[in-house]
Amino acid sequence: MSVFDGLKFRKISSPIHNLDPRIKFIYVIAIFICAILFPQMLPLIILFIIQLPFVFIAKVQKQWIRSLRGAAFLAAFIFIINVLTTFFYNNYTLTFTNVESALAMTTRFIVLVESFSLFFLTTSPDHLGLAFEQSHMPYEFAFAFTTAVRFVPVMAEEAQTIMDAQKARGLELEKGNILKRIRNYIPILIPLIVSAIRRSMELAEAMESRAWGATKKRTNLYLLKLHKADYILISLTILLLIITIYTKLYVQIPQISELLTSLTLFAT
Amino acid sequence: MAVIEVRDLVYTYPGVSKPSIDGVSLTVEKGEFVLITGPSGCGKTSLCRTFNGLIPHFYQGELKGQILVAGEDVTGRQTFDMAKRVGLVFQNPENQLFALSVEKDVAFGLENLGMSRDEMRKRVDWALNLVGIYDLRERAPHEVSGGQQQRVAIASVLAMQPEIIVLDEPTSFLDPLSAERIFEVIYKLNQEQGITVILVEHRLDLTAKYANHLIVMDKGKICLEGNPHDILCNEDVGNIGVGIPKATLLHKQLKMKGFPVNPKTPLCSDELAAQLLEALSK
Repeated sequence: MSVFDGLKFRKISSPIHNLDPRIKFIYVIAIFICAILFPQMLPLIILFIIQLPFVFIAKVQKQWIRSLRGAAFLAAFIFIINVLTTFFYNNYTLTFTNVESALAMTTRFIVLVESFSLFFLTTSPDHLGLAFEQSHMPYEFAFAFTTAVRFVPVMAEEAQTIMDAQKARGLELEKGNILKRIRNYIPILIPLIVSAIRRSMELAEAMESRAWGATKKRTNLYLLKLHKADYILISLTILLLIITIYTKLYVQIPQISELLTSLTLFAT
Repeated sequence: MAVIEVRDLVYTYPGVSKPSIDGVSLTVEKGEFVLITGPSGCGKTSLCRTFNGLIPHFYQGELKGQILVAGEDVTGRQTFDMAKRVGLVFQNPENQLFALSVEKDVAFGLENLGMSRDEMRKRVDWALNLVGIYDLRERAPHEVSGGQQQRVAIASVLAMQPEIIVLDEPTSFLDPLSAERIFEVIYKLNQEQGITVILVEHRLDLTAKYANHLIVMDKGKICLEGNPHDILCNEDVGNIGVGIPKATLLHKQLKMKGFPVNPKTPLCSDELAAQLLEALSK
């Protein structure tokens, strides 16, 4: 089961986990907007740092670092592409400012990954489905989402059983080149798909038997309510947006390379 | 008073030439514990699906005859309408739970009916307590055992407070001990809540003692019907391929060999033991 362990959702409780998912989502969008507005390095680093306390309050450092590590490859790719394009664009010269703006692009990407992973690491699918339902989205959508999450562990177990059964009949999964290996997985995929279709029929039957579609106005056992912490987060988010817009309009943001050169000049 | 009346029912699934139900008529009285048994493919499951309108609404196909539930014709009503009257529990517990917590699953039907939050909370807690899984209410369905999952399924049907509960081989995915516990829960519902129970089951050893109406089906028809005490001693039952309780078989052998046991057919070992003690003390 080890391969599929990452797909399982776990229930953890922390002040960040207990926040209203809708408010958390607004916060993520706000961070997104701020990161897009600034092309300079300095404010992006600040954006990165101000999010760190949330990670530690939620106690998800380990998983969070893992998701950043997963993004490292793409980040490196963004950096190299940026450096190369400016290099060829400026007649094969490379300045400190160019490198810095390439670094800023990379940091922007990391800030986005940081906030999104924070959101998904601290929001249970249960909560997310509830947020879907209570933000006037069609219920079918929320239902499809929660049911998909619900059946991930079930399907994972089934895939494992089918793999074992096919291996017992002599199927060798780890043999041959990449194309051959992909083809090896066909005898696993087909039974998995067939059984998923059969399962969906049974599910539909059970749903019908439990009055699915009886009324247009469906109610919900749980109600999402805003607490004190939610109001604090939303005020912080609004404050962040105000500061961002103010700085963008009235403050000249220095480049870090400029700061460094002026510092060295000052020292001499 | 009859809660279910089936008259001359013939039903054929779409794309199949042979009817799955072939001329079935039966009456179920209010508060009865009905046990339906018979070999695989004899039409038991199809019959269950007619009680809440899955057949013909969900499965289409060709239906002749009449099904009356509480005096109303099922074919004229939608399945979600019937769901309030007839609760259906299926074989595989895994495929009838959709939510990410036990409690939300039990509330699923009530949410669909648009019930108020307070009333829903009351009914959910009531149903969970009745089947004895109140402590599991915040767990995820895939974290609990198969027997507990099946209890969740029963609770989720119970929460809608139906008059009739139909259970289609609810224990075929369970071990004997969990199965016995499920049957005890079902019997309790029948005795204490007065809910009419229709149970489809192969394991007569565990269930015959609870039933007061036994139906034996074969090839889409009802072969034998009546009180289990009268039916299980019938010679034909063994030939159809029904698992007769061991106590009943032993009683038959004792009687054949001339041992002076009570002529009433026992359905479980307790009954047989009492008869043997009675015969020996004479």
